[in-house]
Amino acid sequence: MTPKERMNNAMHLKETDRVPVMCQLSIGHYFLYSGIDPIDIWFSSEGFAEALLRLRDRYSFDGVLINLPGRDPDYKKFVSRIDRNDDGAIVNWKNGNYTTVPKDDNPHYYQNDGSRYFPSFEEIKPEELFYIEPWDITDITYPYTWGFEKEPRPFNDFFPGYHFDSIKIVKQKIGDLYSVHSEVFSPWSQFLELLNYENALMAIMDDPEKVKACLDRLTEGSIDLGKKQAKEGVDAVLISSAFAGAGLISREQYEEFVLPYEKRIVEGIRNEFDIPVYTHTCGSIGDRLDLMMATGTNGIDTLDPPPLGTVDLEEAKRILTGRVFIKGNIDPVNTLLNCDETGVEKDVAWRINTGKAGGGFILSSACSIAPYTPQKNIRLLSILAEKFGKYNL
Amino acid sequence: MTVELLKELSDAVIDGNKDKSVELTNKLLDLGMNAKDILDNGLLPGMEVVGIRFRDNIIFVPQVLISARAMKSSLALLEPLLSKAELKGSGTVIIGTVKGDIHDIGKNIVAMMLRSSGFSVIDLGIDTRAEKFLDAIKKENAEIVGMSALLTTTMGYMKTVIDRIKEENILVKVMVGGAPISKAFADQIGADGYAKNATDAVKLAKSLIGIVTKEETVE
Repeated sequence: MTPKERMNNAMHLKETDRVPVMCQLSIGHYFLYSGIDPIDIWFSSEGFAEALLRLRDRYSFDGVLINLPGRDPDYKKFVSRIDRNDDGAIVNWKNGNYTTVPKDDNPHYYQNDGSRYFPSFEEIKPEELFYIEPWDITDITYPYTWGFEKEPRPFNDFFPGYHFDSIKIVKQKIGDLYSVHSEVFSPWSQFLELLNYENALMAIMDDPEKVKACLDRLTEGSIDLGKKQAKEGVDAVLISSAFAGAGLISREQYEEFVLPYEKRIVEGIRNEFDIPVYTHTCGSIGDRLDLMMATGTNGIDTLDPPPLGTVDLEEAKRILTGRVFIKGNIDPVNTLLNCDETGVEKDVAWRINTGKAGGGFILSSACSIAPYTPQKNIRLLSILAEKFGKYNL
Repeated sequence: MTVELLKELSDAVIDGNKDKSVELTNKLLDLGMNAKDILDNGLLPGMEVVGIRFRDNIIFVPQVLISARAMKSSLALLEPLLSKAELKGSGTVIIGTVKGDIHDIGKNIVAMMLRSSGFSVIDLGIDTRAEKFLDAIKKENAEIVGMSALLTTTMGYMKTVIDRIKEENILVKVMVGGAPISKAFADQIGADGYAKNATDAVKLAKSLIGIVTKEETVE
């Protein structure tokens, strides 16, 4: 069985030869350990694709998640100067703004006065929204433009061709053998990123109908992007919905502002492409697994265990087995980052044994693997999957 | 009448009704009520209810944010009328997200809850370097410094700040929090306390300056 077949079977709730392994790595981990200049990883499709390939190979993962958009191949023409320092680098742009590129964490784009730009809720016109990419190289803009483009693109041609370059490279190099996943941001995440979190959260109290009108538009963009990624041949699409847990919103608010829109994304992509669409929500989601399933999602990613989240894997298995696949749920901080190999083995062996029963289980860190996580701990995951995760086919 | 208006003011804060909160605060001031009484008997009781409901998962972050906004709007009217001692309240807390980290929602909620519990809070914002923490602690003569981090890459900077505080022999209690932080980590870096959420942070802050007994503190 190839890694791709193994992942595919698990995502379709079938047993496999063994539990597959696939973790989402933090961008900082790629910066620290891929051997590629962080600037190349962040600002070029080729650099990011190469980092994905190297670390997938190093950790023997059965698949990769492409969680940055492809980049404008001509971005260097907008650079004024790059300053390197002990903490990383600062890319100074010709427009006077700058991007900090830490050696171990996500870069951030700043206005020349050191601030980040966010529009106010009042100035947003829902009909002008389509998709907000939080990791675009020029951060949040409104009306939304890609990179240094001056004008917003028409909605029928919203995503620039280079957006799909990383997917194309990874597909071409390992797509026959390994599972390749892409990512779209949920409308709820996009909305929070657009206004900055606090203003967005207050907006749902101040004018819920306008918020829904915004979410409605952003849903269209998510569907369009997911379908275009599927057309490039990805094996699954991940809906990144990090802010929909109980740490921020109630079950009722989830039902009102998250569920209907994510349901439309799942349906919109799956109506045209027979690939799994699954959901990544961080933190405390133990109280809303039923609502997440009501979106029609094919799988639930992360499932943070206590103390980071509230998901008990045994209980989650009881609720989810045979209905959606589970991708999780190793504590990325208290186990992978902080434990020695003995501690990792003890925790991960338990998770494999608990998760594999009935199939539909992919071994993964709950949230992203932290930048400084020891590489030996990550390498151990596929070894442990071989040791404890075999099925008797 | 003023008792009723104070109750209405509390309710406006609980409901997150900023306009009503401001209107009632102005009305109470016009009636000659002391700013400190309006704060203690109108605004703070309202936020106390908000804190309890948040702790008990009756309300969530959006409701807390609009309540805090209502309180802040009223407080802006009262602050010029409050003495320095009255503004300091239970004590002064310097709070910030540490260097390299731009996540602030958790820190902001803790700041709101501390303010609502009578603390004076100086919020240094995000990406805060040790020098900025130290300068603020000294300038404000703060009793407590609170540090927040969401990232595993930035949590280590908390120790840098604590080491600097110790090097300069500054008498201030240090509390830490954030998603990847644990009691064990707090102990390891020499913090005086760790709180896993905003409600616990208030209890911890009170215990650190001796407002409640040790038995009531958060481990």
